[in-house]
Amino acid sequence: MKKISFILVFLFALQQMAIAGGPWPQPKKKGYIKISGWWVKFDQHYTDRGLLDPNVTTGIYNLSFYGEYGFTDRLTGIIYAPLFTRNTTNNIVSATTNEVITPGEALNSMGDIDIAIKYGLTKPGAKVPVSATLLLGIPTGRTGRGDLGNLQTGDGEFNQMIQIDAGTSFRLGKKVNGYSSAYIGFNNRTKEFSEEFRYGLEFGAGFMKNKFWLAAKLNAIESFKNGATAETTTSASIFANNSEFVSYSLEGAYYVTKQFGISAGFGSAFRGEIIAAAPAYTVGVFWDLSK
Amino acid sequence: MKRLTFLFVSMILMGTGCIGDDILFDTLDPELRITNAPDVLALNDTYTFEAMYLNNVGVEEMVDLEWSSLNPDIISIDSDGMAEALSEGTTSIRVQYDDGTNIFQDDAIVEVGDMTVVTPVQRTGTINTTSSYVLTGDFTLSEEGNGVKLDIAANYQASTALPGLYVYLSNNPNSIASAYEIGAVQTFSGAHSYTIPNTGINDYNYVVYFCKPFNVKVGHGDID
Repeated sequence: MKKISFILVFLFALQQMAIAGGPWPQPKKKGYIKISGWWVKFDQHYTDRGLLDPNVTTGIYNLSFYGEYGFTDRLTGIIYAPLFTRNTTNNIVSATTNEVITPGEALNSMGDIDIAIKYGLTKPGAKVPVSATLLLGIPTGRTGRGDLGNLQTGDGEFNQMIQIDAGTSFRLGKKVNGYSSAYIGFNNRTKEFSEEFRYGLEFGAGFMKNKFWLAAKLNAIESFKNGATAETTTSASIFANNSEFVSYSLEGAYYVTKQFGISAGFGSAFRGEIIAAAPAYTVGVFWDLSK
Repeated sequence: MKRLTFLFVSMILMGTGCIGDDILFDTLDPELRITNAPDVLALNDTYTFEAMYLNNVGVEEMVDLEWSSLNPDIISIDSDGMAEALSEGTTSIRVQYDDGTNIFQDDAIVEVGDMTVVTPVQRTGTINTTSSYVLTGDFTLSEEGNGVKLDIAANYQASTALPGLYVYLSNNPNSIASAYEIGAVQTFSGAHSYTIPNTGINDYNYVVYFCKPFNVKVGHGDID
């Protein structure tokens, strides 16, 4: 049976903060590596009607590895591996007696790994490059743990996503390089999860002779709402499906050396259904081996 | 630099990954109530009255009760709640508890007649959402065998979007700490019922719906 909560839906938005987007495959034998941490702690969520309701304070903390490698100038392999994910829930304490009514819990494990290949549909150097990506979501995380079955570091399902990216680079004045890209994707999910339409936009600009890059991203999931609900399954532990959101994030990356840099960012949602309602933060280090 | 940054990331993860406390406001007025009063007690019959004291979070506490009869010539009652019908008429049976600060009491009007009559009690109420999720419907709680039956009316509706929606009988509308867990909700619209064994009709005051995995109260109904 499927298990998903508003915790896990947020993983996608956060994952997008860690992943370098765009239609640009890595040059042959070049690559990009990033190790980053991100975290979110929330005590309210968007309901199925897009309104805000409280919940037990829940945290997700993640340390992940992200890597790209150019097999050819047009074919790039990508891996996103949450090496350590911690999911916590707070104690529920009586204001009257100060007794713990429901003890908090924590789960530490690996998260779900994504493996993808990106293929450049246009030749390297094209003015408007277009690429296609096939992503496989491997359910290496854990789900349904804890006394209440609400702790999870993965969604327990194997999903396959096809994504098309397009973008272009440009100059802003004489000193600032910029780029913009957009994507659309279809995420096919198993174990009675609803399929999803995903889309996003990204704008970036390089300052200080391209030592400092600032990227603004918009990501969205629109559910097909064709999966199971609590009404259509007999599982008592089923979690919500059909989650949606439109999120934004802002991330800065600073090249300390020619290849090594540090990054930091945050993201939140404009709107959502059955997802956490709190900002998420990320910090990381990266090695840009294409330079 | 690499090691420092890695250490920085790790410290943030460890520092923010602690389990904290969420405070639940669960204070109620304590309550003492007689749970099994008969309408009529047969002349010369004996009957054991029972009462329940619920503390300021709606949890039953065993306390020293004082039983009395307004007219001991009609019904006498001892300190254990054992009553005897002595003559025809009507009187009031009272139970009291003094916690040192407050005195709590409940009364039951009882008639002495030809035969003992305990009218089956039926309690009703309406479930209302206290969240942004859809939850509504009328219900009836009635005695059945050694337990009770909760009948949810045809006008009931509940959101199917919630993870792990459970229904409880509770004496605190904001907490399921000492509630009776009826089970996971599997019907989300229309009439249905739950049979609850080994439970008295007056044991609980609320029907409560909680999203169990995330400790989110969805709604409740007072059992009138």
